[in-house]
Amino acid sequence: MKYYIKIIFMLTVLCAQAPLDLIIDTNERDVEINPGISGTRVVLFGATPAGQRDIMIEIVGPPKNQTMQEKRRFFGIWLGRGKSNYKNVPSYYNILSSKPFLKITDQENLNKLGLGIDNLPLGKANITHSKIKQIKFDERLRSEMHDRGQFIEKEGNIVLRSGPGKVGLFRTEFLLPPNSLQGKYFVRYFLFQNGEAISYAESSIDLKQAGFARLIWLFANKFALLYGIIAIMLSGLLGWVVSLLFTRLKLI
Amino acid sequence: MELYLPIAELSINPIIFLILGMLVGILSGMFGVGGGFLMTPLLVLLGIPPAVAVASEANHIVGSSLSGTIGHLKRNAVDIKLGNLLLVGGILGSFVGISIFNSLIKIGLIDLLITLTYFLFLTGVGSFMLYESLDSMGIFNKKKRPKSYHHSWIMGLPIRMRFKKSGLYISIIPPLVIGFVVGILASIMGVGGGFIMIPAMIYIIRMPTSVVIGTSLYQIIFVTAIVTLLHSYHNQTVDIILALILLLGGAIGAQIGVKLSSKLKGPMLRASLAVLVLSVGIVMASDLLIRPDETITLLIGGGSH
Repeated sequence: MKYYIKIIFMLTVLCAQAPLDLIIDTNERDVEINPGISGTRVVLFGATPAGQRDIMIEIVGPPKNQTMQEKRRFFGIWLGRGKSNYKNVPSYYNILSSKPFLKITDQENLNKLGLGIDNLPLGKANITHSKIKQIKFDERLRSEMHDRGQFIEKEGNIVLRSGPGKVGLFRTEFLLPPNSLQGKYFVRYFLFQNGEAISYAESSIDLKQAGFARLIWLFANKFALLYGIIAIMLSGLLGWVVSLLFTRLKLI
Repeated sequence: MELYLPIAELSINPIIFLILGMLVGILSGMFGVGGGFLMTPLLVLLGIPPAVAVASEANHIVGSSLSGTIGHLKRNAVDIKLGNLLLVGGILGSFVGISIFNSLIKIGLIDLLITLTYFLFLTGVGSFMLYESLDSMGIFNKKKRPKSYHHSWIMGLPIRMRFKKSGLYISIIPPLVIGFVVGILASIMGVGGGFIMIPAMIYIIRMPTSVVIGTSLYQIIFVTAIVTLLHSYHNQTVDIILALILLLGGAIGAQIGVKLSSKLKGPMLRASLAVLVLSVGIVMASDLLIRPDETITLLIGGGSH
């Protein structure tokens, strides 16, 4: 499997006056991924103040509508009638950390900062034909997204190293799957010391899908009627050509 | 080897889908069914979002049924006149079906309707055909009844027409009504409707089995073309790449199927189709009756972006 390695520099500049501030200098980054390839590996690295510190980074992808379905028995038949419709569920969520979360800070702090899959806001859902509370649907949505590899939570995959002088270095990487939605991916950096978040920075990656598959998608969405006509003609043409080949070549 | 599907938005192994297309294509050419009732659940099982599966499957059937129809035309086994009549009814029915579909979505009963129609028609049509074909093969050891050439009273309705290929002189009302009813059911279930149409042609219109398959395939071309266009225009769910891969396998399969169908005898052919339809029905039924592992699940393709 080939991976296209795109490197994003995250430069953390330390101000002399406020040594614990985390300031990020980031250019507008455009990443193009070709959907035919197995994904895009994104490398994040930068600098922090030296000493006892930990980093957590979360990546939140562009929003997507999602629907959860509840199956219930109707006259002995299991049917999915109850629906919970969500608007703006992140299509991708990934949280990276330099240590297991609870060794960096406590649960209360994680909740307060909104870190981790369980703290990811899903918004108010529109529930129809179901008496189940939204919290139950939320729980199942989070776990399904996790099972599908769209919500990722892996602890301790940021590597910290001490750099020259009073500077510490960090490096980590993550994979954007080939079917990632295009749009803005927000990257949020949290710097911790002694269990407290002492600094925060944010940047974003602009993901664009490229290649032939993308052109087809655009065509299908912008010229829907023409696309349908072409789809029918192509299908008919291929069916005709194959039957012609069979008769001419007397294959069977 | 991997291939990315632009509309389904996932990567697949094209070889698996080529083989799948070919197997369903063989059935299509043999029995005159589009194969949608088999292919759509299989595609969903392989991870294709249901909305994309239904729409792309319709697009695939356009080509495979065209390929099959050409094969049957060469054998002089298509009654185009009767096919057109069924088609007119079918198109009117599919528009009615779509409006029923949309109003049931609003009251949240669409899943119940789809599941029940699938179950009732697959098992009902399947068991009736199985019984009838086994009966005419003499399996039940009854004295073989002489086949009745009397048309039922419905065929004696006014506006009669001669259908030379089928050797029939019947009223045009029953084919129109049958086409209409099948059109409604087909658009609700998201299939071409071959597996309902064929028994109706055999047992109600009493067309000869040899003409039934080609004629059914002929009208499926147009029904699925309309379905493709509607899905493409309203939902943008037709995956042209997926459809063409399935078709490449399917068109080859259909040719093999046509060849096979001329080798099988009428009752034998009907019995095999019956077993096939019945088993899909039973698999679906067991899925409905067994308690799912998780009652709350993510509906793939349920949201748009």
